[in-house]
Amino acid sequence: MYFLVISLAFLMAVRGAKPAPLQNPAEGLRRVWREAIDFFLTASLTLGLWTLATAFEKIQPGARENAILGLGITAYLLSQYQKKTDVFFLTVFAGVFMISSRQGDFFHGILLAGTVSGGIAVFQTCFLGLRYKLLFSDVPGSMKGWPILCLLAGAIALVLRGLGNLVF
Amino acid sequence: MLLAYLPFMVYPYDFFRTGVAALWVVIFLWTTVAFFWFTRRFFPGRSLKHAFFLWLVVWAQAVWTLTKLPPYWILSVFFLMPVSFLENTAKPGHVRIFSKKVLKYFFERALAGIGFAGFVVLLEFIREIGEKRLGIHAFEQPAGLLLVISAVAFLWKNQPYSGRTQSQSIEAELGAGPSKPPLMKRKQRPGKG
Repeated sequence: MYFLVISLAFLMAVRGAKPAPLQNPAEGLRRVWREAIDFFLTASLTLGLWTLATAFEKIQPGARENAILGLGITAYLLSQYQKKTDVFFLTVFAGVFMISSRQGDFFHGILLAGTVSGGIAVFQTCFLGLRYKLLFSDVPGSMKGWPILCLLAGAIALVLRGLGNLVF
Repeated sequence: MLLAYLPFMVYPYDFFRTGVAALWVVIFLWTTVAFFWFTRRFFPGRSLKHAFFLWLVVWAQAVWTLTKLPPYWILSVFFLMPVSFLENTAKPGHVRIFSKKVLKYFFERALAGIGFAGFVVLLEFIREIGEKRLGIHAFEQPAGLLLVISAVAFLWKNQPYSGRTQSQSIEAELGAGPSKPPLMKRKQRPGKG
C-alpha cells in the first residue's frame, strides 16, 4: 500500500491539477489539500456505491465479477462531473481498486481512503516545500528537471517511511 | 516514461512476471494506438477521450478476470500515449526505415514501447540485485527505485556529445577551442582597410 501511495502522490504532484506558481506556496498548499479532499470524497463515494451494489443479492454476483468495470466507470463519471484531470481519475481508480481488494467493510474502506488521501497530501506538501526551497538554491543545470524531482521524491519517501515506522 | 514506470513499483512480482507485465503493456499500447488511429474518424471531438478511458477500463476488467493482474498497468499505458492523442491532433508525418516510408506516429510509439520494456527490465534487474543479492533495504521501499530513476534521468540528461556537433566535441576534447569567426580574423589585420 505504501508503494501505491508514493506512486500516486508523485504522479499527482507532477501531472495533477494545474499547479500554483512556485513563488506562491500558500496557493499551492491550498490546491494540494483541496485535491486531497476531493480525492477522499470521490473515492469514498465510489466505494459507497460499490458497497451498495454488492448489498443486493440479485446483483451481487454481477457486481463482484465486474467490480473493476463498475469502479472505473463510477470514478470516471465522478471525475468528469468535478471537471478533474485524467490523472485524478486514474489515481482514484487505482486507489479504490486497492482499497476494495482488501475486502474490509465499508467503514474500513473509508478509513483507508482517508489514509491514502492524507498520505498523498503530506507527500505533495513536502514536495512543494522542497521545490520552493530549491528556488533559492544553486542547483546545477545538469540536475534540473527530472533528476532533482526524482531525488526529492525518493528522499521524501524515505523520511515518510521512517516516520511511519516510528508512529505505527 | 518515468511516470509510466511508477505503477510497476506497486506490483510485488519477481523479475520474470514483471517482465511479462511490461510486455503486456507494450503489446496493449501498440494495439490501442493502431485501433484508435484507424477508427479516429468515428470519435469526433471529446468522444475520443471518453472512448479511450472506457477502452482502458474494459480491458482492465478483462485482464483482471483472465489473469488476476491488478489494473495499475492502465496508468502506464496512459502515460505512454502521446499528449496529442486525446486532442486528436496527431499529424501524419513519415519517416524512412530501411528505405520504406512509415508513419512517424507509429514509429515513435514503437520506440516508446521498446524503450519502456527495456527500462522496466533494467530497473527490475537493479532491484533484484540490490534487494536480494546486496541486501540493500532501500529497495524494499519506493525510495530505492526513485533514487535509481533519478540517477538514470541524470545520465540521460547529461549524455556526452548531446546537442553538439562531432567537430565541436573533438575540439573541446583536444582543448583547441572553437575556430575564430571571420570578424576576429579581420581585426587581427588592422593595417589593411
